Amino acid sequence: MKFLARKIKGNSLWSDALRRLLNDRFATWSFVVITVYVVMAILVFFNLVGSSWQESMGPSREAPDLSQGPLHWMGLDIFGRSVVLKTIQGTYTAMYVGLVSSLIAIPIGVLFGAVAGYFGGWVDDLITWFSTMLANIPEFLLLIAIAIAMGKGTTTVCIALGVTSWVGLARLIRAEFMKHKNREYVVAAQALGGGHMRRIMKHIFPNVLHIVIISFSLRFVTGIKSEVILTYLGLGAEIGQRSSWGLMIADASGELMQGVWWGLAAATAAMFPIVLAFSLFADALRDAIDPKLRH
Amino acid sequence: MSSISFPKTTRYLMGLALFLGLVSMSACTGKAGAKGVLKMPAAADAKSLDPAMADDLYTNEAISLIYEGLVEYEYLKRPHQLRPLIAEAMPTVSKDGLVYTFKIKKGVKFTDSAHFAGGKGREVVAKDFVFSFLRIADPTINSGGFWIFDGKIKGLNDWREKNKTAASVDYDNGPEGFKALDDSTLQITLANPYPQLLFVLAMSYGAVVPREVVEKEGKDFGNKPVGTGPYILERWMRGSKITYVKNPGYAHSSFPTEAEEGDDKALLADSGKTLPLMERVELSIFTESQPLWLNFLSGQLDRAGIPKDNFASVIDSGSNNLKKEFADKGMILTIAPSPDVTYTAFNMLDPFIKKAGPKFRQAIALSGDTKDTLKVFYNNRGIPAHSPVPPGLAGYDENFINPYQRYDFEMAKKLLAESGHPGGKGVPVLQYEIGQGAESRQMAEDFQRRMDKLGIKVQINVNQFSELLSKIDQKKAMMWGVAWGADYPDAENFLQLLYGPNAAPGPNGANYNNPEYNKLFEQMRYMADSPERRQIIHRMMEIFATDMPWLPGIHRVTYGLSQKWLKNYKPGYMGGHIAKFLRVDDELKAQGVK
Amino acid sequence: MFAYIVRRLLYAIPILLGTTFLLFLLFNVVPGDPALQLAGKHATREVIETIRAELGLNKPWYGQYFDMLKQLITFDFGRSYWTKQKITDMILAGAGTSFSLGFPAFVISTSISLLVGLVIALYRGSKLDKGVVAFSVAAQSVSLLVYILAGQYFLAYKMGLFPISGYDPDFIGRWQYLVLPIIIFVFLSVAPELRFYRTIFLDELYQDYVRTARSKGLGTKAVLLRHVLKNAMIPILTNLVITIPFLILGSVLIESFFQIPGLGDLIVKAIANNDRPVLISMTVLGTFAYIIFNLISDILYALVDPRVQLK
Repeated sequence: MKFLARKIKGNSLWSDALRRLLNDRFATWSFVVITVYVVMAILVFFNLVGSSWQESMGPSREAPDLSQGPLHWMGLDIFGRSVVLKTIQGTYTAMYVGLVSSLIAIPIGVLFGAVAGYFGGWVDDLITWFSTMLANIPEFLLLIAIAIAMGKGTTTVCIALGVTSWVGLARLIRAEFMKHKNREYVVAAQALGGGHMRRIMKHIFPNVLHIVIISFSLRFVTGIKSEVILTYLGLGAEIGQRSSWGLMIADASGELMQGVWWGLAAATAAMFPIVLAFSLFADALRDAIDPKLRH
Repeated sequence: MSSISFPKTTRYLMGLALFLGLVSMSACTGKAGAKGVLKMPAAADAKSLDPAMADDLYTNEAISLIYEGLVEYEYLKRPHQLRPLIAEAMPTVSKDGLVYTFKIKKGVKFTDSAHFAGGKGREVVAKDFVFSFLRIADPTINSGGFWIFDGKIKGLNDWREKNKTAASVDYDNGPEGFKALDDSTLQITLANPYPQLLFVLAMSYGAVVPREVVEKEGKDFGNKPVGTGPYILERWMRGSKITYVKNPGYAHSSFPTEAEEGDDKALLADSGKTLPLMERVELSIFTESQPLWLNFLSGQLDRAGIPKDNFASVIDSGSNNLKKEFADKGMILTIAPSPDVTYTAFNMLDPFIKKAGPKFRQAIALSGDTKDTLKVFYNNRGIPAHSPVPPGLAGYDENFINPYQRYDFEMAKKLLAESGHPGGKGVPVLQYEIGQGAESRQMAEDFQRRMDKLGIKVQINVNQFSELLSKIDQKKAMMWGVAWGADYPDAENFLQLLYGPNAAPGPNGANYNNPEYNKLFEQMRYMADSPERRQIIHRMMEIFATDMPWLPGIHRVTYGLSQKWLKNYKPGYMGGHIAKFLRVDDELKAQGVK
Repeated sequence: MFAYIVRRLLYAIPILLGTTFLLFLLFNVVPGDPALQLAGKHATREVIETIRAELGLNKPWYGQYFDMLKQLITFDFGRSYWTKQKITDMILAGAGTSFSLGFPAFVISTSISLLVGLVIALYRGSKLDKGVVAFSVAAQSVSLLVYILAGQYFLAYKMGLFPISGYDPDFIGRWQYLVLPIIIFVFLSVAPELRFYRTIFLDELYQDYVRTARSKGLGTKAVLLRHVLKNAMIPILTNLVITIPFLILGSVLIESFFQIPGLGDLIVKAIANNDRPVLISMTVLGTFAYIIFNLISDILYALVDPRVQLK
């Protein structure tokens, strides 16, 4: 990513991209939403917000009530805890899982995909061998094994998700590299004496960057959603220490039919803007940095 | 440019709509109900249709339509009693209670199979029972039912040991305990008195299987059942549905002629009729409650348990009766206690639990509120458990009060201090093991919050089932929640859960080992129900209520609904599936399902 | 070409060896002796040991690994620990059913998402584009469970358009039960695929050669068909081909809500019951499928793009 930073400073292409990004209303709003969630997550991390979420403030499963102050706006859960506070608490878990799992999966996927696609031959065979193996082990089993080996908890979930989910991205990147390495501009660069590293980073990588960025946004979203499933399997958040949207949605599966809709509604309402923002922001970012799109 | 693609899409969508329309029309015409069909739900699929593998409730139920044993439970009697089925009469028992002699009914036949001479089902003889029972002890079959005979039948354990190393299992030289005196006489000789013998023979493990079919089919026998029961397997769509058709040659069982006082007289409408009453049975497997409930509401099922999620919309919380809209449809609510107990076990070998002593466990029990648990988690479908023994079993004592099965926070704090841990001081973080699922997690969270008030920290560990089993087996778990369902209607089946020699990996996962309790258990296990036995059981419950190796939870109560056309249903039967007793009134059904 | 295919098929050997080995490593990490679960609620040490002996679990792990390899070489997948069924039978029984659900859903959702993806890529930035993207993001944010619950409740129960649940193994009879699950399946897969294809098409639409072709005066339609589709084929094929094995594996939730006896819960149940032979067989079959479909996709690359060489 050093490459990116250097470019932004030194090259009019990147400063131009930034300028156009700022002019895009969708991008700006998405960025604002993402910032709000990040700030919220940081506040929760330092226990500045929502640290009293475990307190019982009324009867079990009290329906939303606007007259009793903001903590009752989204009703109470089975133990009389404020759903608003639980939702805010959950921001941290969601952002943490999304970020860390992406930061693990994406570099691995890009590196392996690029190297395999570019070099081909035995390097490709070896990486394909390894990723095929990983892809074919039932994911459940792999996640459970990692969780058991490393001890359960949120960080384990991130690592497990990261380690198991790079294969798809690597395949995409590999396919792109296979396509690009024979294109005229790369062949030309080779003729001009560019080394492998230079060709991979300078010539091909910018052409697949949008895939990486889109993957990041999708990965982030998948991370947030996977947390729900893993929580159901009991591999997720430490119970009783942090709340999570996953726990709230898992609880809802048994409560929805009894008319207790507010837990699910609150978690979904919290998840929706961040998912939407990431998707729109990724699209805008893509438009801004893809040099081919400039007219 | 898109002007080319859009009309295509539209046409495509129109085609799809037409296709869907046709299909849904055919779905409607397909609904015209066939006559004489009983449609029942099951909460899980059977694992096999081999009686030696009837290890769980659902497998047992699916098998019991096809296979039967010497005796069965009376359909209408409570508490449960046995009546002869393939046996001519109840056995004669020798004075010392060790030798049981059964006469076998003439003319009971296995259903047809290509593996019989001529393809026709042959008559059941005493030898078949010897073979079937030995199969349960066969070390190469590894039936989960070996416990019903383990250590109880004369010479059987030696036979098993000998055949572990043999090239092939020798069924022709069985132990002294199982003998066919002639074609119609079976003799069982016990090593020790075993009053529960007849109960376990009523389980699917005690069913008779034909040797020639078992030997031909080998391990595939579980897919191709051949029994003597009221129904024959028609088709088994694993995970979805099991369908059965009537066994045309079935004649050896009829509807009971006596009901209990207080039973609806209509229950005896079919009295004396040869069973089964229906031509076909469909057991639909529902792992999710919504399709179960919707199928029931639309008349596609004759019966359903009320799912927890729908409980509030079906039952009026004030009167505990069926709400009007359901009552108006003629639906009938059935309520029956299920013979089980839920509990949280302490591992008595855990260094801290061992050291902390009974007062610590009493304090924890007093800080729990079972009434609240019942309300929040069970829609009040249950009663607090004071001892391991559930109601409806010989030995249950409804007047027994466990002094720690109540909520008393002040007393809890006091006892905690007396145990040497005032305000939770010196108590390590308690490790609470649970399985998967939101409900068990929420219940654990409830425990965690209650302990927090006492000043005790709890860590909740969610486990895969196999993970939990191995923690218990290795005696590494500290405490965990679990339930036990009755194998047969006797208190012994529950009291053995705390018998020292049954420690992990056996059913006494708590590894409780109290010499006095053990001695009393050894005494009562060999006794038939009597006032003396009840006194011993009472003493055992007192010991339990002092030591508190468990936090006793509840005995569950099952709420179910029958359609108005389902006849002869009586809730709370213990032995297998009741399909053969049930009748669907096709006329009423035609009115009910539009 | 033939030599290439043979060579790629030989790859199967190291991959299978590696995958099964990894699986055995995992069995060692994941605690839980299958014998404990099989012994049931009245287990005794003696019974557990007998079961371990029967299943060969009393051997060291490498011994068990070689036992398994010996079995696989003879194409014998063995029997399930749990149901004692032949695993081949278990898989054959469910595969056709899952495929009947998955394949039509796959064809329909792919057609819709390719078509719509292409159209909105062409009208990039328009209200239509933004609307469709926002809609598909929204559709993706709702849990699968909600679609199933709502579809079953409203379409099947309230409106009576479809049976609520069930299945008929008859080839014609099965479709009345499958239509609703297929609709839900399609609804679920269109949203993410749509966005994926849009990206792919956009990428190609703004390549230099498209602009060159346009400036040469070739009509837009011709450009689309001749160049863009052809060049977008590689990522599309990759995506399609790696999806196919999953069609056979089925969808756990859809199958259990609609009582469809497919393969969906085979792996889930095998993990829950610690049923190692089933896990191994499913993994081995999955690996085979993966290798074969990858091979097909690589051959297809070479066919659509002559610059890709098969070596």
